[in-house]
Amino acid sequence: MSMLDRKLLRDLWKLRTQALAIILLIASGVAMFEMALSNYLTLRSMQVRHYEREAFADIFADLKRAPASLAAHISGIDGVAAAEARIVQPVRIMREDGDASVSGRIVSLPPTGQPELNRLRLTRGRWIEAGKRNEAIVNAAFADARHVRTGDTIDVILNGRLEKFTIAGIALSPEFVFATRSGLPLPDDHAYAILWAERSSVAAAFNMEGAFNNLTVRLAPGASEAAVISGIDRKLEAYGGTGAIGRRDHPSHRFVEDELAEQRTMSVVMPLIFLGIASFLLNVVIGRLVTAQREQIASLKALGYPNAPILLHYLKLTAALVLAGTVAGGLAGAWLAAQMIEMYRPFFRFPDWAFEFRLWLPLASGAMAFAAAMIGVVLSVADVVRLPAAVALRPSTPGTASTTAFKSLRHLGLAGPRSMMIVRTIVGRPARTLMTICGLMLAVPLATMGLFWWDSLGYMIDFNFERVERSDAQVTLIHALPSRAVREVSRMPGVFTAEGSRLIPVRLVNGHRSYRTVLQGVSEGSELRVPRESDLQPVAIPPEGVVLSRRLAAKLWLSKGDMLTVEVQEGGRPLRQIAVAGLADDILGLSAYIARPALNRLMREGDLVNSIALRIDPREAAGVWSRLQQTAKVEAVAIRSSLLRSFDEKISGLINVSAFILTGFGILIAFGVVYNAARVAYQERAWELATLRILGFTRRETLTVLFGELAIVVAIAVPLGLVLAHWLIALILRLRDNESFQLPAIISPATFALSALVIIAASVTSAILVRRLVEKLDLVAVLKTRD
Amino acid sequence: MDEGQIAAAGTATAGDAVTPPVFVARDLAKTYGSGKAAVHALRDVNLEIHAGEFVVLLGPSGSGKSTLLNILGGLDAPTSGTACWRDHQLTGASESELTAYRREHVGFVFQFYNLIPSLTVRENVQLVAEIADNPMDIAQAIELVGLTPQIDRFPSQLSGGEQQRVAVARAIVKRPDILLCDEPTGALDFDTGRIVLAAIQRVNAELGTTTIVITHNSAIADMAHRVLRLRGGRIASEERNSKRLDAMEISW
Repeated sequence: MSMLDRKLLRDLWKLRTQALAIILLIASGVAMFEMALSNYLTLRSMQVRHYEREAFADIFADLKRAPASLAAHISGIDGVAAAEARIVQPVRIMREDGDASVSGRIVSLPPTGQPELNRLRLTRGRWIEAGKRNEAIVNAAFADARHVRTGDTIDVILNGRLEKFTIAGIALSPEFVFATRSGLPLPDDHAYAILWAERSSVAAAFNMEGAFNNLTVRLAPGASEAAVISGIDRKLEAYGGTGAIGRRDHPSHRFVEDELAEQRTMSVVMPLIFLGIASFLLNVVIGRLVTAQREQIASLKALGYPNAPILLHYLKLTAALVLAGTVAGGLAGAWLAAQMIEMYRPFFRFPDWAFEFRLWLPLASGAMAFAAAMIGVVLSVADVVRLPAAVALRPSTPGTASTTAFKSLRHLGLAGPRSMMIVRTIVGRPARTLMTICGLMLAVPLATMGLFWWDSLGYMIDFNFERVERSDAQVTLIHALPSRAVREVSRMPGVFTAEGSRLIPVRLVNGHRSYRTVLQGVSEGSELRVPRESDLQPVAIPPEGVVLSRRLAAKLWLSKGDMLTVEVQEGGRPLRQIAVAGLADDILGLSAYIARPALNRLMREGDLVNSIALRIDPREAAGVWSRLQQTAKVEAVAIRSSLLRSFDEKISGLINVSAFILTGFGILIAFGVVYNAARVAYQERAWELATLRILGFTRRETLTVLFGELAIVVAIAVPLGLVLAHWLIALILRLRDNESFQLPAIISPATFALSALVIIAASVTSAILVRRLVEKLDLVAVLKTRD
Repeated sequence: MDEGQIAAAGTATAGDAVTPPVFVARDLAKTYGSGKAAVHALRDVNLEIHAGEFVVLLGPSGSGKSTLLNILGGLDAPTSGTACWRDHQLTGASESELTAYRREHVGFVFQFYNLIPSLTVRENVQLVAEIADNPMDIAQAIELVGLTPQIDRFPSQLSGGEQQRVAVARAIVKRPDILLCDEPTGALDFDTGRIVLAAIQRVNAELGTTTIVITHNSAIADMAHRVLRLRGGRIASEERNSKRLDAMEISW
């Protein structure tokens, strides 16, 4: 072992507390990066595997009714690899608890068992026995939400007739990773079920023998989706086709993509920012560690050591720290990732749930940390070796440059020499002060970035469920009914207000841009559905023209006054040009509003509604639901409280998991940063502090000099950090790519205060730890050493 | 009777007047480490130092002179024995009592000056004046060491000798009862060293401050009233200068 290597080991031992802090910093960055990214990649690969194994279709089409023989013609379309015809129908599920809100879909299964596309993956139970007409398989999300077990019998209303089904199995499907009813922005597993039953039993109930009303298609490799879709649309036109859609517009896929996009933000962008900050700090800390050995480096140079082995020596020191941090962080990250991935299980209904270790993640983040540390080392070593050995050997008390800075303050009439010591140290070494401020400033957003999600979600819920959608329930009717139906409902006991609206599935088109959504025909003077600006001002819906959500308008490159093509996806599928009459801000989904009379005219129909929004007396809720359940014309009832619960589970829950981890790591790293800053400030001034003690200053007086500096730096850094946090959060939210919901950059004063408090608490804790060092200062040693 | 007791028994004069002892040390011993690795820095040291005296502790490195100075200055505690300054027991005193002792009574001059680099000459002196009960005028303290023209300079703008004179001014501004100088010329060349010594001598003569200078430079001994030679942690001999030299007269 060379003597320099021996020095390396001894230095590491001597610096063990600081080394430990650096190792923890690296380990936190590496662990967090690995955990978050690994979870995201694992979710992605589970999605891809699920789609492949269970043969998720590429194109989906609904139609009114077509003879089974048409399926063969569709298979013949150029670019179609496989086509499967099914019957998919709305059903209602009766619950003994009288809850009217459970609706669903029943999907036919071929007599041969597994379909070719959108196969089922049984998680419990068994396949339907051939020939058993009243057996069904249910989707796992609903089974879990409603505690449905295999062998249970459930009452299902098919086409107005009640039938009993026995649950043979519980399954996952790539088609229903998130089972969402059209028109609702969120999946609600409590209120929405998917049942699979043998074709014959579904056909019998809906009079669909020898016919189908739903088609799924797999594309041949290299086939054009658009060409196949228009081919299918042509074939289905005569059979009431409502327009085929690609995966992009498939509700479950869209939601999976949005949730994964959310995870990408939380798991890639945020940890990268964290790792970046940690690397910057590492750079600073390591740089200072080297600078502190200035005289040793000069001595080595004076002894005739060339620069290369000296640099190598410090790089080895860095490598040792980074290696230790990477190994510790890699192991911790893998362990955390394996624990964390379990927490995603209720959100993503994928089969084959398994943690996958990816070695490259800790390696990549370790390499990034090493690169950052290396820059710090090279710059600091270069700084020292550039000086003639004789100069470097002298203590690095402030040089002429900083003296100039001191001079400018000479006549500043401050309280006294100790205040001057504080101020001049801050101003006289601007580079050092700047680094410390930067470090502390960067620590602030680490706390804010975890905490703000709760503010943002709280705002979202308030905006969407209190200000825009103000009803207690939305009743979806099976068929559009004259608006007097609304008056009937409003006369039900327990109903305060009922408002009818007309909801029509549409494709909004501007040039080559298009988006499928539901056009909401809102009654005049609606109080239960109020589109708003982000400042909460209501947006009036004019008699003509549509009001679009601002994000939707941006997506379609439209602004107020532009003309928009509306392709109705229902009935005669009329196509109209309508002006964009106004813009509104929405958070959940991408909405389009129109006055109901205008929509009725567009559909060339009378005064019809197919959705009724209700305000009810909460004390009579059960009675209202039960009466609605008796009504054959009702397809589904979406209850706000249930939607809110679903929002809590599907969106808040998922964000909370990540935000919780981000906050934890953020606070941990912030503490590390502040402690290091305090520790380095102490180290650089230990000599001065000891001198003060010898001169007769008490511990308290001595500490005011050190902590005065820290306090001023914290006072400068924290407000800057809060501004930075605001910028970073706005940036992160801009980088989000999510259609399902828009997270506003809302940061409450409490979150700002808490972030500041975290840094202040970290500073106080660090100060307490450093105080012990000041108390243990070796006064005698100071007399025998220079700086 | 050992050598230490011989030293202790001596009566001393400052100027030529007999004054009572201000420092009394009895059987002082300081051991670092234990067992075979034990280093005895001081053994059985007995001494008395009188008010106004200029004492030089002379000895090679490792002789224990710094350890003795540190104990007298309230910076270190002996392993056994007692040391007191007037009615202050230095042995067994608490950390805060020692701080108060240093603050109220002791002025230090160190080999490496230990000035605060971010403070000017005036401010370095003012730093100590602020915590003193009855400090002298700052300008006067600086005048005493001949640095009035440099009063607004920073330490890095001064030569080594000038920096050490700032240290002397800083030490005396609070009118200390004792001035403890640890190798004050150790880092200085001959000419600058003499100027610093002259400043210390002037403080002793004009303010009557009891002064203890430790050095390995025997030439400095000629300035003292009394010279204590240390060897191997003991006081090996004690001499009284019948004729003291002025700082500017000595040479090495």
